[in-house]
Amino acid sequence: MTKSSFEFSEMHWLMDVLQSIDVGLVILDREYKIQLWNGFMENHSGLRPDEVHDKPLFESFRDIPETWFRQKAEPVFELKTRTFTIWEQRPYLFKFKNYRPITGRASTMYQNSSIIPLESIDGSVKHICLIIYDVTDIAVNQEDLTKANENLAYISQTDSLTELFNRGFWEEEFQREHKRCIRSQNPSCLVMFDIDHFKKVNDTYGHQAGDEVIRTLSSIIRQTARETDICGRYGGEEFTILLVDTDAAAAVHFTERLRKKVAALIVNTDQHEIKFTISSGIAQFSPNFKKHTQWIEAADKALYHAKENGRNKTTVYQNK
Amino acid sequence: MGAYAMTTLINEEQRDCYQEITNVAMGQAADRLARLLNVYVILPIPKVNMISASELHMALADTAVNEDVSAVCQGFIGSGIAGEALLVFNDASFSDLAELMKYKGPLDRHGELELLMDVSSVLIGACLQGIGEQLEISFNQGHPVVLGQHCHVDDLVKSGNHQWSQTLAIEIHYEIENMNINCDLLLLFTEDSVAKINQQVDYLLD
Repeated sequence: MTKSSFEFSEMHWLMDVLQSIDVGLVILDREYKIQLWNGFMENHSGLRPDEVHDKPLFESFRDIPETWFRQKAEPVFELKTRTFTIWEQRPYLFKFKNYRPITGRASTMYQNSSIIPLESIDGSVKHICLIIYDVTDIAVNQEDLTKANENLAYISQTDSLTELFNRGFWEEEFQREHKRCIRSQNPSCLVMFDIDHFKKVNDTYGHQAGDEVIRTLSSIIRQTARETDICGRYGGEEFTILLVDTDAAAAVHFTERLRKKVAALIVNTDQHEIKFTISSGIAQFSPNFKKHTQWIEAADKALYHAKENGRNKTTVYQNK
Repeated sequence: MGAYAMTTLINEEQRDCYQEITNVAMGQAADRLARLLNVYVILPIPKVNMISASELHMALADTAVNEDVSAVCQGFIGSGIAGEALLVFNDASFSDLAELMKYKGPLDRHGELELLMDVSSVLIGACLQGIGEQLEISFNQGHPVVLGQHCHVDDLVKSGNHQWSQTLAIEIHYEIENMNINCDLLLLFTEDSVAKINQQVDYLLD
């Protein structure tokens, strides 16, 4: 083989590789007109090279936001550095079908992309190469993992009967709020309450009915509480609500509303109609509560007082 | 972070040379940023150290004390020299960063990711290119990976299970004039790369 025919066949191989490599290759000029469009791009887009050649990228592919893409590509022209996009930013640049249309779970192909400068002989960058990688499997697995972790976090933080925070997680949140109160001195209130004579409900109507009472109460709590309030099941029939940035007067208003709602409620089980009431203790944060447990004790004392004074009542802790 | 144990893997002369190479590369990166964004980047003296896996955690912890951070890392390799570039942003930097990059969208988690990617592309790319040019190496860069957003610096790099014991770390702290932007770029080279870089550096020193 002569030297020139060897170079020719080498060129031919290289072109063959570019054509058949399973990665998308697009060369763009300074006006973002398509100059090269390899086999991967042709087969996934359904557009032949002659159909897109010399056409502006943004005209042929309206899914690509022009300003966004220019922000990634201009530094490549101007600074001769490579830039990258990842699927977390945009799932795809080109809307292609999933490479595994039957068994794959995503409908479109997730893509990462690199944009690299192509230097001319004079050293300036008049063309850039956009490389498209299929990262569908990575993205789908990552999303699965994130979902699974979120699910696990939810399970570990939630009481299954009431779907309120469980005691462990509620206490963590409460400690954080306690620290925040010490720093900011904002008035936050802790409300502790429990169901009056709950043992009698269980004894008279059975534990199933008792569970139903607790479930109904917790759904009332969720309806009454604001987004920022932190509600938890503290013990069997004992609940806690942390009213963030709320003073004692507003907390009384909130708790009384809850108490009246509960008192007016009838829980229907298979055989019975059950009425029940709650007693609450409120403690507003005081700088004297150096430890978060002191704050809980204060609310607990107020709750005890409400019980002593006939139940179906709300008592505010008096800081003396 | 001056308290790191000294090792014999690089000598003082080589360390100075690394520092000089990084200085030049950073200068080029700063010049590029200035051209792209019209800002003046304050350049500190880069720190060059051989550090162990546990010291990497210390070095990272130094970048942000008691503050949430967001970080991107990117692998690079060329001529037997391999490593990772790690860019750590203080979360308080994002509003100024948005202004700097003329980012118009909402500054939510997604918007911040865009900024993180744009800035890291330019900073890491420019710095690696500058170092590569001087050592006559053209690095390949892997895809950037987001290590975390709004997380504690301890959670960025999982401890344990490291495949390495020592790494050459070049630490660069970037600040931008009149802006509340703080970021740290760490260039970490694998242990077996160090001998190769030393060779190149010795060649430059001769």
